[in-house]
Parts: sequence; structure tokens; C-alpha cells
Amino acid sequence: MAFYLSGFRCFPRLWKSNPSPKLGPGHSSLSLCLTVYCGIRNQQSWFSVKPSSQNIKAMNLLITKGRKLKGNNNNKQVSSESHYFAAGAAKKRSHIGNPQNEDHPSSSLRNTIQIPTKPLNSEEWDKLKDCFKGKISFEDWISSQMAHHNSSVEVAKSLLAWVAAKNNGIVGYNLLVKYLYLCVFHKHTSEVIDVYEIMKARYKSLESGGYTLLIRGLIQSDRWKEALPLLEDIKKVMIPSKKNYHDCIQGALLHQDVNIAWNLYQELLGHNAIPMLETLKAFFDFGKDIKDDHYSNKLLDILWYLRNNQLYPGESFARSIKTWFESIPGKQWKGQFTTIQKSGQCSSCGKAIEPIHLSPEEYRFLKEKVMSEVIDGGDQYRKTTPQELKKFKNFVDSCPPFDIVIDGLNVAKMFRKGRESQILLDVVSQLAKQNLQLLVLGRKHMLGQSSQWRKDEMEQVQEQAYCFFADNISEDDPFLLYAALHSGDHCKFITKDLMRDHKACLPDARTQRLFFKWQQGHQLAILKGFPRSKLTFQNILTYDTVVQTTGDSWHIPYDEDLVERYSYEVPTKWLCLHQKTQMPTVC
Amino acid sequence: MSITVCFLRPFARFLVPYTLHRKRRNLYSAVLQRCMSSKIPSLSYPNKDSTSSPEQLELDGWKTAMKSSMQEEDGVSTVSSKEDTLAATRELIEMWRLLGREVPEHVTEAELKVIMECPSKSAQKKYLRYLFCKERKKKAKQIKKEVKAEAREKAKLLETTEEAEQKDFLFLRLWDRLISNAWGWKGVQAMQFGQPLVFDMGYDNYMNLKELHNTVSQLLESEGCNRRNVDPFHIYFCNLKLDSAFHRELVRRYGEKWDKLLLTATEKSYVDLFPKDNIIYLTADSPNVMTTFKHDKIYIIGSFVDRNSQRGMSLAKAKRLNLATERLPLDKYLQWEIGNKNLTLDQMIRILLSMKNTGSWEEALKFVPKRKHAGYLEISQASQEVYSKLKKTKILNSFPKGSLNVQRWKR
Repeated sequence: MAFYLSGFRCFPRLWKSNPSPKLGPGHSSLSLCLTVYCGIRNQQSWFSVKPSSQNIKAMNLLITKGRKLKGNNNNKQVSSESHYFAAGAAKKRSHIGNPQNEDHPSSSLRNTIQIPTKPLNSEEWDKLKDCFKGKISFEDWISSQMAHHNSSVEVAKSLLAWVAAKNNGIVGYNLLVKYLYLCVFHKHTSEVIDVYEIMKARYKSLESGGYTLLIRGLIQSDRWKEALPLLEDIKKVMIPSKKNYHDCIQGALLHQDVNIAWNLYQELLGHNAIPMLETLKAFFDFGKDIKDDHYSNKLLDILWYLRNNQLYPGESFARSIKTWFESIPGKQWKGQFTTIQKSGQCSSCGKAIEPIHLSPEEYRFLKEKVMSEVIDGGDQYRKTTPQELKKFKNFVDSCPPFDIVIDGLNVAKMFRKGRESQILLDVVSQLAKQNLQLLVLGRKHMLGQSSQWRKDEMEQVQEQAYCFFADNISEDDPFLLYAALHSGDHCKFITKDLMRDHKACLPDARTQRLFFKWQQGHQLAILKGFPRSKLTFQNILTYDTVVQTTGDSWHIPYDEDLVERYSYEVPTKWLCLHQKTQMPTVC
Repeated sequence: MSITVCFLRPFARFLVPYTLHRKRRNLYSAVLQRCMSSKIPSLSYPNKDSTSSPEQLELDGWKTAMKSSMQEEDGVSTVSSKEDTLAATRELIEMWRLLGREVPEHVTEAELKVIMECPSKSAQKKYLRYLFCKERKKKAKQIKKEVKAEAREKAKLLETTEEAEQKDFLFLRLWDRLISNAWGWKGVQAMQFGQPLVFDMGYDNYMNLKELHNTVSQLLESEGCNRRNVDPFHIYFCNLKLDSAFHRELVRRYGEKWDKLLLTATEKSYVDLFPKDNIIYLTADSPNVMTTFKHDKIYIIGSFVDRNSQRGMSLAKAKRLNLATERLPLDKYLQWEIGNKNLTLDQMIRILLSMKNTGSWEEALKFVPKRKHAGYLEISQASQEVYSKLKKTKILNSFPKGSLNVQRWKR
């Protein structure tokens, strides 16, 4: 084993391909490295050897290499059931778990001082201080360590007493804040109030961190109303954070003051901040005990807010929503956690979910915006040239509406094996058999004869589909978007590109959401493994993943706690709520 | 209130000579002012005696002491709300400083206004951090200066004791002036016969203030490099609008030297000054790779520091004017590791100057920052060909293999 380890160390040299002609002592081990490398190909268990940080890079290189050799086996694990934008799909696509978890040992403590677990007296503190060697002052260091390890309040208090004794009864603001943090963390309300009194006495104003801690501490106590002036103090210099608002709202709800809570919520929205989901959850949790139409209307407003901003509640929030609905007297709501079928029907009640299609106005708006922001962007020369744009527009107008727009380069480069023009021809001819109007977008270099692009195959492509070739330095994606949008709602486009950069070009969040919705409904992504089998696509969504209602039913998508969702993915789990009195026929 | 003195005292000790010396009273922070005027605390700590005995510390004693020191001034009349927020921000910064955050000690009115105009909290934090670093650097410089001055004083004392003996010299010690004279001559020559090198100043709309300042710094550096070279370029600043931000900043940095610079600054575009076919726009986005340095072409460098990575700005510009574009052959010669392929303006001019004088890419690309690449790739195809060609001719018109001549060549 030790034999191999010594070999590992010289990996970096192997990979840097540095032409170093030096014949150092390490040179002889090069051949050894190669044998290790061969060993890795066959079995990956070598990686259980903990690598030192310097050769991690080399190891990763080897791992990816090994993975490539394994071929498509891993890729099949991308479940064919989920659609392209399903939560967690990207993670599955990217890597099937790193074989070696990067568990770096937590950075060793520079100082070997143990954080005391019991209150110390002054001699002991003095002794401890003598042991300490560091750049910052001992008090700073020990107090931040205690805050980090959540020491007990008593220990922290003894530290403060010791500091005060040395220092004429004065404790610095930084120590006081860290002490306050511990008090708040351990929910020592009486201590929090003491510190609050001290701070009020000592300082005319505090900074945001201190205010935040005080607010969080005070809302638990009977003097919670004093947290509100503190919020006002923050407002003097900056906009309070959503956490500040969350704390205050929580405090108000805790003490049954609904009006203050709603006012604060309105204020938060007024700052154009998106409230924390916890805040919204708090309203629902509190709503269980209130039987008031006004209040329930406001809760429904929150659901509309979620819909308009395309927010998805978390799992526990979804549960709170469910319990609140079920607690409404007389209406007999029934909630169920469920999924949606491919056809866009709720598995539990059978109702159809809203289709993903954009309304005509939305469609027109999006088309305009894509044209003006993504393609033009204030300077037509950046992505294309005006001549080319004009040519393309004329071309699109002269053709009948397309059924499918193909990103030629993206499709052709999808598979490593096989000639690029060959792959493109395969895809095009398979689609052409289904009698679809096709458009292939590409660049001019595809027409030149080369090892990857054969002229005869490209000619066949041009026979079966309309083609447009942009300049080699132009971007082809904007043309794809425009052609697809121009052809109408039925038109789909084929590319594996997630189009995130083009989405980012759009001016505001609303347009970006429209774009994303359109993309979900119209993008076809080819499943891997095509050259060998028939052409298959990732499932396309037929329904829109958004909070929605039909009056007597609500469907609310939510995020599962254990699934990591990227921003360009949508949840797959739903909460289905319907009224019992109007049971659906299909059940 | 009186307590503040205690923990501010160490700072005050440093502050007072500094501020008084520089006569900048407005630097006083609000808190400091208050503490300077307040009384020395006459408070006795109730627990003082108990600590001398090895008993347990009394845990809550310090609180009473802290509480008993109430703020004294409460009746301060409130001023207008604008000044109120200014003062509040000042105090906030002061509290952050007590907390050990990276904020400056002194903030001027102008800086405060910038802070309050920051669009977001992170922008505020960034600006405060910038001020903090600036202050720290300034302080370090000041200290260094003082140390140096002290050392000089000492050296002077020593020197005066030694009798300066008479010696025979050929030249007076006037090196700096003579050198700059010589540079001036060369610069004038370059103005007459030098190869033009254009800096395109048409990017001021795409940059924020910080980027613009960085650009001007890089321009200054480039101009300095050019001046010192054996065979300088004739520099053009094209598209430089009078009284634009660029122009103002350049004039500010150069001072009165601006009008005496040996370069051409013009509002005109390069397409008006030079024939279009001779222009080559250098941009990292270009699809064409620069293979050799051509002495009859006019190279254009965009004076553009691009922190927001607005891709393809300069390529779009060249496309619009239908100009040839080229990029440096970085990938061909270097094993690129990290960082943007965009180089700074002074690195660009150094590379171009080196190419102009030697024509070897290996030599020229030494100016690419070392952190960005892992080293040179093996001898490229082109130079290998040259090598073999040279070898052939050498062997042909000299002695057969194995002779002394070949041996020397191999070395």
C-alpha cells in the first residue's frame, strides 16, 4: 500500500505535461505512476485512499477519465419518467454522486485551548489567557469560539465578569453582542432583557447585527412590543432584512396581535422584498386558531402571491397549508399529497392542471421581448449583424410555419461517437418521416468539407428540412428562439441547451418566468443512447407547475425537504386540496 | 457615556496627533467627539475587591456597573432629518468598527453620501471595505515614511561627520533629467516616423466609475512603458471626447503634463485617420489568431476594463466598422489555467513592443501574468520549422556533421 502511495504524489507532474527535462530522483517513479493509473481504470476502490490536497486535482482528472471510459452506463440512470425540468433532474444528469466524498478534516484548531464547559474564576481565566497565542486579542477569540460552539450562558457570563473586573466594569460592545447571541440562542429571555437594558444605557444607537439579535430575543418575552421601535431604528439607516421582519411578525403573532403582523407584512412587500417562506408559514400556522373571514381572505392572498411570483412552499409549509384548509369549519376541505400524471391530471382528484400554454397576450409580449432583448440587445452587432438578421427574417417569412426547430450544432455534438453530420442527418430524417416541417439552424462552417461534416450528408439534410446557416461568429441560439416563437404555439425546438444565458438577458423576473414557462412547454431534449435505438425525447410538460385554484380546489406544488432543486427546475410533488361536498366522480 | 473613553482610549491616543497634525477636524467621529468632552469615569467597580480573593467570580456584578453609567446627553436638539440620517449612518459605522467589522475609522461627508446612495447593502459593504483597505494602506505608508525619514536623519548625521573628499568626475549627477530628455527625443521621433498604435476610447458608456479609473491607470502605465522603449509606438487616443469622463480623468491624473505628452489625442475615429485595410482590431473574442506582428499595420486596443463581462463588445464594434480582428495566440503558446484571456492595457502594449522589437512570441508572452498559465507549451510547430530550416542551411554551407560548428549550434 505504501508503495502505491508514494506513486500518487507525483501525479501532478504527470498531468501538467510540463516539458521538464530534469532527471530528478522522482523521475524513476514515473513508470510506477502509470501502473497505478492502469489499476484505477479497472477498479475505483483505489480512491478510498485519502488523498492529500495537492493531488486531488489529478485524482479528479483520473476519475472523470475513468467515467468516460465506462461509457453511457451511468447516463441511463437519468430516469426516463421525469421531465427535463423536474426537480433534482439536473443533479442526476450531471454526476451520479462523487465516489469520494470530499470530507476534508475540519481545519484543526490553531490553538489547543479547550473551550471551558464550566464557569471559571478569574485565576483560571488568567491562566487560560496565558496559554493563548494568536494575533487577535484573547477575549475576542474566546468569545467567538464560544459563540461558534454554543457554550452555555453561564460560561460566557463568567468571561464577561472577568473582563469587567479587569477593565473597570467595562465590557466591550463586541463581547456584549456575542454574549447576546448566546443568550438568544439558548432562549434566556431574562438575560436578553438585561443586555437590552445595558445596551440602551450605554449606546445611543446600535448596528444592524445587535438590533437583529435584540429583536429576536425580545419577541419571545412580554416586552415584545419594544422590538418594534428597534425595527424603526434600523429603518433610519437601512432597509431591515426579511429576517428582521420575520422575527417581528412572529413576535406579533405569538402575542395575538394580528393587525401589527399584517401591517409589517405589507411593509415588507412594499420594500419589494420577497418574504421568507417561514413568515408565510407562520401566518398559516396561526390561522388554525382563528375563525375569521378577513383573516382567511388574507391567507388566500398569500397563496395568490405564491402563484404570481412562482414560489413553491417547502414540505412543512405545505403541511401547514393543508392543516389550515382542513381546519376551516363547514367547508370540509380534504388535502392530499400527490403527484401529477403525464397527461396533466391530478392523481388524487383527477382534475386537469392548468396547461402550460401561454395566453396570446403573453405570447406576443414574450416574442417581442426576446426579439428586442435577446437578439437585438441594444446592439445588433453583438450577436449577429443587421444584414444577417434581415436575411433571417426574410427567410422565416418566406417559409411556412415550422413544427420543429433544430439546433444543428447542439444535436450534432451530442454524441461523441459518430460523425457530426451523420448524427444530424439521422435526427433530421427520423423527424422528416413523421411529415413535420423542420428547420435546421447552424453555422456556415458546417457546409465546408471536413472530417466531421460531409457535404453529401449535409445536402441530404437540406433536402429534408429548411436550413439556415449563420455566420461562424454569430450566435445561433437567438435565431432558434425567434424562429420557434415566430412559428406559433405548436412549434417545438430541439436542443439540450438550458438557455440560461438568454433567459438572463431578459429585463425583469416576470419576463424571465414567462420565458421559462414557454421553454418548459416547447423544448425537446434528446435522451441519450439515440444512435443505437430510436429517437426518444425527454418528456415534455403539458401542465404548468404553479399554485392554482378552481374555486373549490387548490393545487399547490411543493419542494420536498430531501430533494435539491435547481432554479431552472420545478417541483414534482403536489398538494391537492378539494372540498368533500363536491366529490369528483373519478376517484 | 463616560465609559466610552475607556475603550476608545487606545484609538484616541493614535488619533489625536494624527488628526490635529493634519488639521482635519471634520474627521472626528461623533462618538469620539462625545468621549473627548466627557469626564473621566469616576466610577468604582463594586466587585473589584472580590476578584482579589480566589472565589468564584460574581456573575451579575458587571451588569449593574454597566447600567449605572447612563448616557448623559439626551437633550440634544434634533437637527433636520437629512443630517440626522447622516449622523445615524456615521454612528452605525462606528458601531460596526467596534464590532471588528471592516469599516474605516474616518469617513468624510462626501464618502458618507456615497455610502447612503449605495443601491444595496452589499454595495454598501463593498464600499466600506474599500475605504477600510484604503485607510489601512495609507496608514502603513505614513508609518513607513516616518521610519524612512528617521533613518535618513541618522544617515545625514553620520555623513556630516565624514568629510566629503574631492574627487574627479566626468559627469554631473543629472541622470533623471537626461534620461527623460532622451526619452523626449525618442518620443518626438516616434511622433514623426513611429508605427501608430491606437487606443480606442469609445467605451466610456459601458464602464462605471471604478472601471474607468482603472482604465486610466492602465493607460498611464502603458504610456510609460512605451516612452521607455527603444523604439516607441506613436500612440493615438482616438474617440476621446473633450470633457468626457475619460478626458477629465486623464487630465486630472497627468496634470499639466497632459499637453506636453508626445502622443496624439483626438476626437476623431481611427477609421477617419487611417485606411481601413490597414487596421487590425485586437480583441480576445476574435476568431482570428495573430501569427506575426506586422510593421505596416495599425493595431487598435480598446481601452476598456470590463468587470461585468459584457461579452463581445469590442468584436461588435469591429464588426460594425468592418475591420479585421485578431487575438493573441495565448492558447498556442501557453498552457492556460485560470483567468480571463483579456489582458490589461499595459500588458498588451508590452507584448506588442516586445513583438515589434524581437518578433518572438516566447519573449513577448513573458508579460502575461504567471498566475494565469502553467508554463509554455513545447516548441510550437512554426518555430520548429524555422529551427530545422536554419539547421539545414547551416549544415549545407558549413562543415559536415560532427564538426565543431554543429556542436556549437546544438548548444
